[in-house]
Amino acid sequence: MDDDLPTDFQVIVVGTGMVESIVAAACSRIGKNVLHLDSSDHYGGLWASYNFDGLQKFIKEVNSDPKRQLQVYNLSEKWYIEKDSPQEEKKEEGDENKTDDSKSQPSKKVWSQASFAAEYRKFNIDMTPKLLFSRGPLVELLISSNIARYAEFRCVTRVLTWLDNRLMPVPCSRADVFATEAVSIVEKRMLMKMLTSIVGYNEEEMNNEFKGWNDKTFKEYLEHKGLTPNLIHYVLFAIAGGTNKMPCLEGVKECKKFLMSLGRYGNTPFLWPMYGSGELPQCFCRLCAVFGGVYCLNRPIDKVGTKTVDEGKTVVTIDSKSKTLNCDHLVIGINECPKEMISPEPVESCDISKAVFITNGSIMASEKEPLTLLRFPPLTDEDNTVTVLEVGPATGSCPKGLFVVYFITKKVKDAETDLKPYAERIFDMSGGDQTATSEKPKCLWSVMYNVRDTSACTRSTVDSVHVCSGPDASLDFDRAVSQAEQIFKQICPGEEFLPRAPDPEEIVFEEEVPRGPEFRSDDADAEHNE
Amino acid sequence: MAKTYDYLLKLLLIGDSGVGKTSILFRFSEDAFNISFISTIGIDFKIRTIDLDGKKVKLQIWDTAGQERFRTITTAYYRGSMGIMLVYDVTNEKSFENIKNWIRNIEENASADVEKMILGNKCDLDSKRQVSKERGEQLAIEYQIKFVETSAKDSLNVEYAFFTLARDIKAKMEKKQEASNPAPRSGAHQLRANEQQRKPTSWLSRCSLL
Repeated sequence: MDDDLPTDFQVIVVGTGMVESIVAAACSRIGKNVLHLDSSDHYGGLWASYNFDGLQKFIKEVNSDPKRQLQVYNLSEKWYIEKDSPQEEKKEEGDENKTDDSKSQPSKKVWSQASFAAEYRKFNIDMTPKLLFSRGPLVELLISSNIARYAEFRCVTRVLTWLDNRLMPVPCSRADVFATEAVSIVEKRMLMKMLTSIVGYNEEEMNNEFKGWNDKTFKEYLEHKGLTPNLIHYVLFAIAGGTNKMPCLEGVKECKKFLMSLGRYGNTPFLWPMYGSGELPQCFCRLCAVFGGVYCLNRPIDKVGTKTVDEGKTVVTIDSKSKTLNCDHLVIGINECPKEMISPEPVESCDISKAVFITNGSIMASEKEPLTLLRFPPLTDEDNTVTVLEVGPATGSCPKGLFVVYFITKKVKDAETDLKPYAERIFDMSGGDQTATSEKPKCLWSVMYNVRDTSACTRSTVDSVHVCSGPDASLDFDRAVSQAEQIFKQICPGEEFLPRAPDPEEIVFEEEVPRGPEFRSDDADAEHNE
Repeated sequence: MAKTYDYLLKLLLIGDSGVGKTSILFRFSEDAFNISFISTIGIDFKIRTIDLDGKKVKLQIWDTAGQERFRTITTAYYRGSMGIMLVYDVTNEKSFENIKNWIRNIEENASADVEKMILGNKCDLDSKRQVSKERGEQLAIEYQIKFVETSAKDSLNVEYAFFTLARDIKAKMEKKQEASNPAPRSGAHQLRANEQQRKPTSWLSRCSLL
């Protein structure tokens, strides 16, 4: 089937992770002839979202293939529920309950491994769950490039923190502030003064202001400003997402980012992609394809080489399925790249500990289905902040009645040791009767694993081979976007990075629709007639 | 911006490369046929608003952008689609056989209640025909999907096909609305530069903590 695959391209992209996909779209958009390959049968690589079936395959693959364990290791899956559903009579009982409690308290379904399997398609579980800052670089890029039309988002409805041994909402809107008693009026004023100045600084002013703070922590700064312990907790852990060790300037920048993204879409500064983060690379792939990029999955590559053709030009050659593909530039995901082509740079790397839990309720009940970001302050001095994202059925992540909860932190020991103590704070992990009412939601299923950190910028030994990093532990996609832009600028110096794609509505023949200035159909026709 | 339609339907075209998906799209959206384009370049989706029983129905019809060529349709393509045109070429046996694979693909990725219709395109090329109309009908019965042979070139049945699919979806939506009043809103949104953005105010009014 792949035999009619053309062999010569200006740019070949191997791997459909976030960075690779953005570069592919950007190159195709400005007219480069692009081939985009992936060795697996789905998009996204380590950035993918899986349904429950796909996830089971992924887990099996990782546990049986030593090669995969170079990327993902210490993987352990656990069920907290029975294999099969209890007898079907339960159903009737459930219906009765429904009429009793009316809408507010639908009867709790008893889940089994079989009922998960039966609804496998309704799950979209992220390997790399991330949020977008409403005014962050990815949101701006999606809008300016018009790729936003391929995706839908939901607003994160609340930010929580762990304070005094319980979950506490972090006030993010005026309404929240009125509702909260956690911050006194005096404290609010104190905080206002400090945050106003942070948002007001431009880069230069910021560097000047914090000159003396280079070797100090953000916490020391907050203490210096006279903030009370409560406020320091909110600012340091919930807003800046830091730890006691967070350097001052980094904390200031994180705060500014958070504050600047407030008030654009929802109550909080964050957006979550519908159906999971794995949709996003695909959106960029779609744009690449619309502008002529050729797509081929299930296409492993065997060998990468170079050859010099006349005029001393270097061509990168790729052997794949007994075919040799040629290109001027190869963009390749770090996990696909032959080791000898990566020039080792001594960088401090820190692997990532991750976990996914599926539960039968939210970590903190609320009237409407919540979408939650919780930043857990480290429980011990050794630990790092643990980022928790809880998403529900409205995001297309799971069937009704369930929540998917992601845990992400920088690895200290291993995923289970790093994350289980945090999970136990907010979930009931004892198994047992799912219908029993309890404070905490029941954990029904979990998987924990470590991911090798490949987020550091890596160089290749060949100028025309560009290596793309894997996912990092941070909350957003900012690093992927900036790396993609850098790679694009190396390949296409002087070209615009993802200029706005015309709206199809601009090319529609409908009298009441005015044509936009970027009407492109002339070009398109010319191409077609060639 | 005032809404200029009563219903917005997202439709997809699916089928092997070269069966005429883009031609069908062009015929329907612009009443044009351009025999020279071979594969889909630069065509994302097209829009046409039609009148159905007194309602304005805006059809947003998505093309595969060539990603079907090596069977690499993204899962994202299927999201939110309400209707799918499965297209084969009556002069190409293989494209007809592959309809079953495409249906499997749809079952895996699209919403369970998506409306489908099978189109046997290029029925103007009778001399080159490899798939009889009866076989097309038989397949459609097997999957309980509506079927029609079309010619984008001769403008045969293309209008009929889209109107039929749109009418079926509309009927389904109206039935659902009756069942659950008021209709649930999805609450998800697309990002736009200006929409929803509150007027540029000082960050103080944005920042909550204050």
